[in-house]
Amino acid sequence: MTSAISLTGLVKTFGTTRALDELDLDVRTGEVHGFLGPNGSGKTTTIRVLLGLLRADAGTVRLLGGDPWADGVALRARLAYVPGDVTLWPAITGGEVIDLMARLRGGLDRRRRDDLLERFDLDPRKKASTYSKGNRQKVGLIAALTSDAELLLLDEPTSGLDPLMEAEFQRCIEEVKAEGRTVLLSSHILAEVEALCDRVSIIRLGRIVESGTLTELRHLTRTSISVETFRPLDGITGLTGIHDLTVDGRHAVFDVDTAHLDEAVRHLSGLGVRSLTSTPPTLEELFLRHYDGADKS
Amino acid sequence: MTTTAGAGILVRFMLRQERRGLPWWLIGSGLLVGYQSVGSQDLYGTPEALAKLRATMTGNAALLAMSGPERLLDTIGGEVVFEIFGFLAILVGLMNMFLVGRHTRTDEETGRGELIRSTRTGRHAPLVAALCVAGIADLAVAIVVFGAAAGTGLPVAGSVLLGAAAAGAGIAFAAMTAVAVQVFENPRSVYGAVGIAIGTAFVLRAAGDIGNPVWSWLSPIGWGQRTFPYAGDRWWPLVLPLAAGAVLVRVALILLDRRDFGDGLLPYRPGRATASWALRSPIGLGWRLQRGSIIGWTAGLLVLGIAYGSFADSVEEYVADNPEIAQYLPGGAAEVVNSYLALVILISALLAGASAVAGAMRARHEETSGRAEPVLATRVSRRAWLGGHVTVTLAGSAVAVAAAGLGHGLAYGIAISDPAQALRLAGVALVQLPAVWLLVAVAVLAIGWLPRAAASVAWTFVGYCAVVAMFADSFNLPDWSRQASPFVHLPQAPLDTVTAPPLLIMSALAAAVLTAGFAGLARRDFGY
Ligand SMILES: Nc1ncnc2c1ncn2[C@@H]1O[C@H](COP(=O)(O)OP(=O)(O)OP(=O)(O)O)[C@@H](O)[C@H]1O
Ligand SMILES: [Mg+2]
Repeated sequence: MTSAISLTGLVKTFGTTRALDELDLDVRTGEVHGFLGPNGSGKTTTIRVLLGLLRADAGTVRLLGGDPWADGVALRARLAYVPGDVTLWPAITGGEVIDLMARLRGGLDRRRRDDLLERFDLDPRKKASTYSKGNRQKVGLIAALTSDAELLLLDEPTSGLDPLMEAEFQRCIEEVKAEGRTVLLSSHILAEVEALCDRVSIIRLGRIVESGTLTELRHLTRTSISVETFRPLDGITGLTGIHDLTVDGRHAVFDVDTAHLDEAVRHLSGLGVRSLTSTPPTLEELFLRHYDGADKS
Repeated sequence: MTTTAGAGILVRFMLRQERRGLPWWLIGSGLLVGYQSVGSQDLYGTPEALAKLRATMTGNAALLAMSGPERLLDTIGGEVVFEIFGFLAILVGLMNMFLVGRHTRTDEETGRGELIRSTRTGRHAPLVAALCVAGIADLAVAIVVFGAAAGTGLPVAGSVLLGAAAAGAGIAFAAMTAVAVQVFENPRSVYGAVGIAIGTAFVLRAAGDIGNPVWSWLSPIGWGQRTFPYAGDRWWPLVLPLAAGAVLVRVALILLDRRDFGDGLLPYRPGRATASWALRSPIGLGWRLQRGSIIGWTAGLLVLGIAYGSFADSVEEYVADNPEIAQYLPGGAAEVVNSYLALVILISALLAGASAVAGAMRARHEETSGRAEPVLATRVSRRAWLGGHVTVTLAGSAVAVAAAGLGHGLAYGIAISDPAQALRLAGVALVQLPAVWLLVAVAVLAIGWLPRAAASVAWTFVGYCAVVAMFADSFNLPDWSRQASPFVHLPQAPLDTVTAPPLLIMSALAAAVLTAGFAGLARRDFGY
């Protein structure tokens, strides 16, 4: 499978800050790739490098088969971008901005534009200075979604959208995906990531610390087990991958590394299971571990 | 709870917010008066000089239109008022407009006002408080103007009256703003409407000073002038701004009761739903962003040119009467009219240059505000993006410079009955264009290579050129220190004969510097 984006050993420093520290990222053609990480971890910086706005200090950058710094214009003709904080010209209306951006990208599909305006319930006749934060964001989204670009770079595109519009956005991305286009979606909204993304990469302090499908990532975490057995709970402390164990007679509560779940369940069933509840890790737990875990390392 | 509850607290709060900006308005008013007072006393300090000036001015309609009623020329203090009062009143009017507008309509628009209204403040409190703050500011203006006038040796009674007249104009414009704030839903429209009102007041008083004085009595600026400070000290016209202010504030409060918070009586006019044909390229965007200031500057320079040009014919006579003036004119007294035109056209070109540099710096502002980023995420290269802005700036500056020359030529041509002067002086002004373009090129060079310092670099260069052009002779600056100004190397038309080489070399230099600036932008990180 080919890659729409492939970054290896990417380094970008601002003065003494090392914003990107040997970052590797691979986004496959046709997938929706979640890009997650705490504030200031380097998501926006990565996207700016991809847009050819920043020059990498070291490492290789491949975007749609080219180098965005060297052949920027030709590559950018094939992508669409939504910044996390859409700033607009105060005296120009939202409709004008959408048209201008489409024309600068090479053409305006008026039907698609009008359709999106309706779906996102945006009044295109208002001057940008009178739009609310959410409505400004909608202008940016519609301007990007009216294009038929092969690659969408979205940097926290839904910040400020209300839940109804968030749902509409997710429908739009599903359609984009169905058309076989590629999306890089930086986001802090986990439900959005869970609903849309085929794969995710988690960035911390300018490095990718985890990358894979959500199922794969779940494997890296623990499942909570609460169990009651017929026979006494012998040998359970000897199992590998068991954490936070409390035993109360024939009742035990513990976390087990997902990789060792099978082993633990076999052992328990040998003791005769009276009742068992297992709680899979939530996405929150998954990310919170990555968000603050590495601080300690 | 009364409708003005909490106004006292708001006044203190607003004054705190204004503590940075307000002093500058006051300093500006003081400098304007003090500077004019010292300068006038220097030039026309003797009764003979003043009498000669009166003789020159009598019947010069264009000059009266820019200044005031002739009667003021009876005394030296009156001469100061004659020259300065119109501009002082505009300055004070703008100060009042921004003070009242900012704390009422802008607050409502941004939602800050909602925060205030959610506390225990009455419905009228923000407007009343803003008007109080304007009143306090006007009182301060009166004191500063009095200080500047009396401090530079003008009679005390007249100085008190001059201060009061300036404050009176301020009060009238503050009250006008209070009404406009109720009518329009967004601050830009409020400022536009009040700006037009201030401009109309200036034009009405000009009409009154040239022709039928009745016109002046329709203008808050005219009311102030017709107190005749130092030239009769007439106090009763001060009643007019107070009465008008009271009526307008009453109207504003009635209108305020009839509208919803955040709304205006005239609803916000929606704009276009789709982009016009022209908004499709970086140049189209550059034009859209700069057209307002280009049109404004072109119109302003045309008017300024007309004002300067109308004076050209009488300048010969004037210089014969005031030989000291000749030292400020390049070429001295010999070719007086041509030296005068060369100087004022140079000043116009410098103003056009300043406006062009402001236009070029817009590109930098687009970059730092993040608005350029989505544009550069399309097929637009950095070169094309900057090129769009700069092309509009360069073309706009050419139009502005030509308009200034045209203005000079129109007025001078009418005075000497030679309509061909209009096109001649437009051409003469364009001789300065390559230097204007070099100013733009230096700004672009700085944007390319020293983005963070770009504004300081560009404006320092403009300031340097202005100092060299206007003060080099009177300050006796050494010759070498002027050489970096591009204007020095161009022929001072119409005084000098114009030859092509300096113009071509300067244009080529500007092109080279521009190219270097574009190259700098192409190789650096964008957005910082
Ligand atoms: N121009 C700059 N100069 C100095 N430091 C910068 C600059 N731009 C970014 N940084 C730093 O680089 C790091 C990465 O910032 P970046 O904006 O990429 O984070 P982010 O992941 O997008 O964060 P957020 O979730 O808040 O949007 C931060 O430490 C930031 O302070
Ligand atoms: Mg970011």
